[in-house]
Amino acid sequence: MEKAMELIRSRMSGQSGRDFWVKLDELASLPELSRLFSREENTGRPGALDISRRSFLKAFAASVAVSGAAGCSSNPDEKALPYVKSPDSEGPYEAAYYSTAVTFAGYAQPVVGKTYAGRPVKLEGNPDHPLTAGATDPFMQAALYGLYDPARSQTPKQNNRETSWGNFERAWVSRLAELDDASGEGLRLLTGHITSPTALRQLALLKKRWPRMRVHRLEVADGESRRGAASMAFDRELDQHLHLDAAETIISFNDDLLGPGPHQAANARKWAERRRGFRAGEGASTLFVAEPIPTLTGSRAQNRLLVSESRIGLLLARFTKALGINVAETQAALTQQEAQWLDLAIASARTNPLRTLITAGSHHSAEVQALAMLANERLGSSGTVLHYSEPIGLSERDPSTGSFGELLEDMEQDRVSHLLIFNCNPAYASPNAREFTEAVKNVDFILHGGLHFDETAQLSTWHTPLQHELETWSDARATDGTVSIIQPLVQPYYDVRSLHAVLSTIAGSPMDGRQIVEETWRNQWGGDFEQRWKDTLIAGYMEASAADPIRPKLFEREVWNAGESSDEDKLRLSIRPDPAIWDGRFSDIGWLQELPKPITKITWGNVVTISPAFALERQISNGDVVWVEGEDGGIAGPAWIMPGQADNTIGLTLGYGRSGGERLADGLGYDAYSMLSPKGSGAPRHVNLSATSEHEELATTQPNQDMGEYAFVRTFERGNPPLEEEPAEELPSFYPRQQWDSPSWGMSIDLDACIGCNACVVACMAENNVPVVGKELVAEGREMHWLRVDHYFAGDDLDPQSHFQPVPCMHCEDAPCEMGCPVNATVHTSDGLNMQVYNRCIGTRTCSSFCPYKVRRFNWFDYTGSDAEEIQAMRNPEVTVRDRGVMEKCSYCVQRISEARIEAKKEGRDIRDGEVRTACQQACPTQAIAFGDVVDPDTEVSKHKAEPRHYTLLKEVNTRPRTTYLARVKATRRRRCRDE
Amino acid sequence: MSEATPSTDRTYSGISGEITGIPVAFPNVRAWWICFGFSLCLLLLFFISAGVLFRYGVGVWGNNIPVNWGLAISNYVWFLGIGHAGTLISALLLLVNAHWRNSLNRFAEAMTLFAVICAGLYPILHLGRPWLFYWMAPYPNSMAIWPQFKSPLTWDFFAVLTYLTVSVLFWYIGIVPDLAAVRDRAKKRRYQVFYGLFALGWRGSAHHWARWRQSYRLVAAIAVPLVVSVHSEISLLFAAGPIPGWASTVFPPYFVLGAAFSGFAVVAMLAVPLRHAFGLKDLVTERHLDLLAKFLLATGFMTAYGYVAEVYDVFYSGEQQEMATMMDRFSGAYAWSYWGAVIANFVPLQLLWFAAIRRNPILLFLISLSVVVGMWFERYMLLVSSLYRDYLVSSWGEYHASFWEWSLYAGMIGVFLVPFLLFVRFLPMISAFEVNEVLSKEKEAARG
Repeated sequence: MEKAMELIRSRMSGQSGRDFWVKLDELASLPELSRLFSREENTGRPGALDISRRSFLKAFAASVAVSGAAGCSSNPDEKALPYVKSPDSEGPYEAAYYSTAVTFAGYAQPVVGKTYAGRPVKLEGNPDHPLTAGATDPFMQAALYGLYDPARSQTPKQNNRETSWGNFERAWVSRLAELDDASGEGLRLLTGHITSPTALRQLALLKKRWPRMRVHRLEVADGESRRGAASMAFDRELDQHLHLDAAETIISFNDDLLGPGPHQAANARKWAERRRGFRAGEGASTLFVAEPIPTLTGSRAQNRLLVSESRIGLLLARFTKALGINVAETQAALTQQEAQWLDLAIASARTNPLRTLITAGSHHSAEVQALAMLANERLGSSGTVLHYSEPIGLSERDPSTGSFGELLEDMEQDRVSHLLIFNCNPAYASPNAREFTEAVKNVDFILHGGLHFDETAQLSTWHTPLQHELETWSDARATDGTVSIIQPLVQPYYDVRSLHAVLSTIAGSPMDGRQIVEETWRNQWGGDFEQRWKDTLIAGYMEASAADPIRPKLFEREVWNAGESSDEDKLRLSIRPDPAIWDGRFSDIGWLQELPKPITKITWGNVVTISPAFALERQISNGDVVWVEGEDGGIAGPAWIMPGQADNTIGLTLGYGRSGGERLADGLGYDAYSMLSPKGSGAPRHVNLSATSEHEELATTQPNQDMGEYAFVRTFERGNPPLEEEPAEELPSFYPRQQWDSPSWGMSIDLDACIGCNACVVACMAENNVPVVGKELVAEGREMHWLRVDHYFAGDDLDPQSHFQPVPCMHCEDAPCEMGCPVNATVHTSDGLNMQVYNRCIGTRTCSSFCPYKVRRFNWFDYTGSDAEEIQAMRNPEVTVRDRGVMEKCSYCVQRISEARIEAKKEGRDIRDGEVRTACQQACPTQAIAFGDVVDPDTEVSKHKAEPRHYTLLKEVNTRPRTTYLARVKATRRRRCRDE
Repeated sequence: MSEATPSTDRTYSGISGEITGIPVAFPNVRAWWICFGFSLCLLLLFFISAGVLFRYGVGVWGNNIPVNWGLAISNYVWFLGIGHAGTLISALLLLVNAHWRNSLNRFAEAMTLFAVICAGLYPILHLGRPWLFYWMAPYPNSMAIWPQFKSPLTWDFFAVLTYLTVSVLFWYIGIVPDLAAVRDRAKKRRYQVFYGLFALGWRGSAHHWARWRQSYRLVAAIAVPLVVSVHSEISLLFAAGPIPGWASTVFPPYFVLGAAFSGFAVVAMLAVPLRHAFGLKDLVTERHLDLLAKFLLATGFMTAYGYVAEVYDVFYSGEQQEMATMMDRFSGAYAWSYWGAVIANFVPLQLLWFAAIRRNPILLFLISLSVVVGMWFERYMLLVSSLYRDYLVSSWGEYHASFWEWSLYAGMIGVFLVPFLLFVRFLPMISAFEVNEVLSKEKEAARG
């Protein structure tokens, strides 16, 4: 490297600006230089350089500048402030950490980003954040891929042709006078949910200049109706904040509290906290769920009621009535199961009313959700298990803000002349995509700003590519309102601008993104700015910036209404965002496309879920393409039989059915948006379903989910004798019992905490450079996940219990794989790891054949060589990229162990407990995973292994695995309506 | 002994002439060319399939996790098993002085040799990085790493290599006197030179014969236990893994007997067309067929014992996973391979109780074919039905061989047939001098 830099410096001295680039271009073709670098590459150092011209320019513009040959730009952003280390200590192969945030549905997800030489390689949750405390979800983990996504839009476009920012600026300036004259009449701005104080400030400025301008919000899967419910209950728009850590009884009326969404990480963390208290004997943790389709929340319920969505309103009405609220009488009678469930729920609520949380799914009508709010008020638990605040971010309470429906109407009435669209995709991801596509013809000027050149961009006059959050300056609020300043981890790779910069251009006074954000906070903080800015950047959040709790007054109403009718016989649709790619916004993220959906374990597509009884009646099997006919039009998708689903319910998910462009999502699945009723996202509709003669092969990572008689996931009743007596009765073995020196690594996974969210799976892919292989190969059983989350149904076929079980490598002490390998490619280290030596592997696959847990993954093809340059840049330089024909598997994040060992050695001490955290462990929102030294009895993992509910998966095979499990826990008192 | 040895009115030179005359004055050249052309096409298919495999990786096959191994490994076991019959016929029967073997041993040995080559190619082809296969060998290297001696694969490597070496030696030592006979009868210069080189200057002196007999019997004595040890070793490839349906002590004898079973079937399948095509019915007599059939019947029953023992083992053990695997073999996704093996191996076999059928070349050929297919089913069943459903329900997954696996299999048959046809064409395919030796003993006995 030094030699090469010297050569470059000598040739480049005195060059700057345009000349610099021209010179650099010439340099790229210097033979002696490519020779130098290809030699460099051969030494196998991390971050090896591809010597193609383009990447040369990209890489060297940055590093030449850093090393002082020229001084035009640097990488990373010089104004960004790292989280722990000072940037001075950052050598090219030393990691630096920055705290920032990414956003999901507009809300900040606080992260600490790890960078190497200015290249972000991994995101972790921010452990200090008051809301999430380091908890993550799959979307946050995958945001890194979003930065490097090869499908990102890279240049501005005008009418689908590439253009320059200058052209756009000129075009916009020419329209300012016209807009000024009309006070902004006809000017509309459509955006996804915004919580960014800076963006909101900019919108306010725009409104000031053009008072007649209107802002519309489109966030399909956001559950806007929650705020509507609050206006119904309290006569004002409010946001609800749940404290699952305080709720000893949760009664969820079809509300997937622990399921995917912007609230998942925080909810899961808090729920796990309560669960820990319960396990320690402090209070209860009882979860009642009534739902038509299995969800993550349902899988954790002690009392799950399988019920059609149409019965939710009725059940909630009866529930609130029992609390003494005057609810309009409905005639329908409850079934025996419903009555039983309800009785137990009411009894549980009455036992501890102040610690009981009632929630209703945000896709239900406002009336139903208002009843749940009412119930909490009546119980007196409001303020303890939940609180309210002013709406976080953009709110439709403001008269100048409207809904997407209103915008559409105005467009159809030809009342819109200028439409600015940011961070949403109404031409695809909206209930009225078709109408919108028609109505844009009435609009004179459409500007689209977003990460992708998507369906909406294609309809727009101008498309401006925006910066990803990991390369931009911005700010955003977490769901509790806590502000994070978003700072870039890296300079943008492409010709993209921040949303704020584009908005400032719109306002007619173009500014730099960082200046705009700084100005927002300078206005608020005044003289204190410098210090607070620095503190906030370093911490990753702003102290005490959460929204103030409000104790709203209940709206006085004589009779409350449950709103929903219950039409039992007809088929109903239940439409949810996809658990892996949400509403379609993540459909270009390979990690998420290949992420098995938590319950179905299907990848690369969506399915039409039906109940087993319905499937039997209609003679439909998994993968048969069915036609779901709505009121106008329908969709055809592959059927999937879902045990635990209501018989009259058909489950669809959003986000698929994209077409056009060479994108990952192309041709996958069906588009369920057309089935959404125009008013709101989840409103159920009656449909017909008919089988077709077609069959589609589905790419599922777990075709068999019936646990049958096996006890892979075990349940422990508190107070019972331990599942495994320790020291366990030794099974006979050929191998001598080994003595292990400290540290010797092991892991325990608490199945009582695991909610199956998949954050660990994505974290593992990011940390360990796990390749994405695509739909066909997943269907053939060749996915590469080092860590999988198995899902099992147990018990009743129609209404089973759901279990999750993360399975990484077991690092068996007497590992059959090691015995099987003829070339010593998988061996044991002295610190108890079962290691795969890629260089030595010749690919006999005996190790995998002999593995009782089947955790090994094989490179059937060359999965990595032809990766896009962007994907190559994303890789973690600490982890080898595997070649074709070698076996790979979970290494317990050996690179992290090495790093900790080196640090400890430098300081002349032992590695501390908790110092090594595996990627999965760190990502887990419920802290289900413990990792550490199993020889030392005082470590967290050793304590876990000493618990009575500790057990070994497949103990009878006697391989002495180091990864072991903690059983699920059920309370000793019998107060369930059916067995867990 | 009478029918399985040539009639005493044959002359020595007559027999030598009949056998050694085949290469230099080949009958049925046309038919040979047709067979050879077909085999060459298969060989070409082999090179294409292997080329595609090397170019793109093992992914072109249908293997996956959990079924890491597929057709390649089951065919490996199958081919190697077939090979064992040649050694058994030649070496074992030589050592026990069963003279009737002399009409069968040469081509049975050739069959062994080519089957072992096919078998040996498979494990190399199936590697993720086949170009590094030699890492399994214990050679001094700069990495200072030995093979892992606990691995059954390391021993597989040694076993196949040893077996190949011994088979080549045994076959070559056996053929030297006949090569000399062909050399002496050859009219054309090029034949004289070719056979002369490979006859190693054999002049038939008493010294030559004494040395020859020593070495031949010595190699035979080495080869016989190899049959047992090699295929026992191959069975450890499965039995050493803790996978339900594999981890059983019955595997080594089960595999060896199955190997002999399938091997005898292939010998019978080769004997029938060869004696027909080259008019060797007086050398490979009906009595030979009858003996082969009896061997087939006997080894068939021993193999059947393995089936019974395996089932008994599993249910006696009461292991939940083992029983689940066994039940799945009876009725699961790969039940066709289990019942295919049982039916094809043992049902037509029962016809061999009848002497008339044993002596009927066509029926014997068909029954042997059924056994060869049945044993293929068995190898496939043992491998796939254990792997596709092992312990954790979550990792279950089916396996379907891809086009390139089938094409490689077809091509591998070309790898077998091409050298075998060349052998038939250019080398004495029956041991003339040994037949003569038997004849001389018969004649002496007749003279009394």
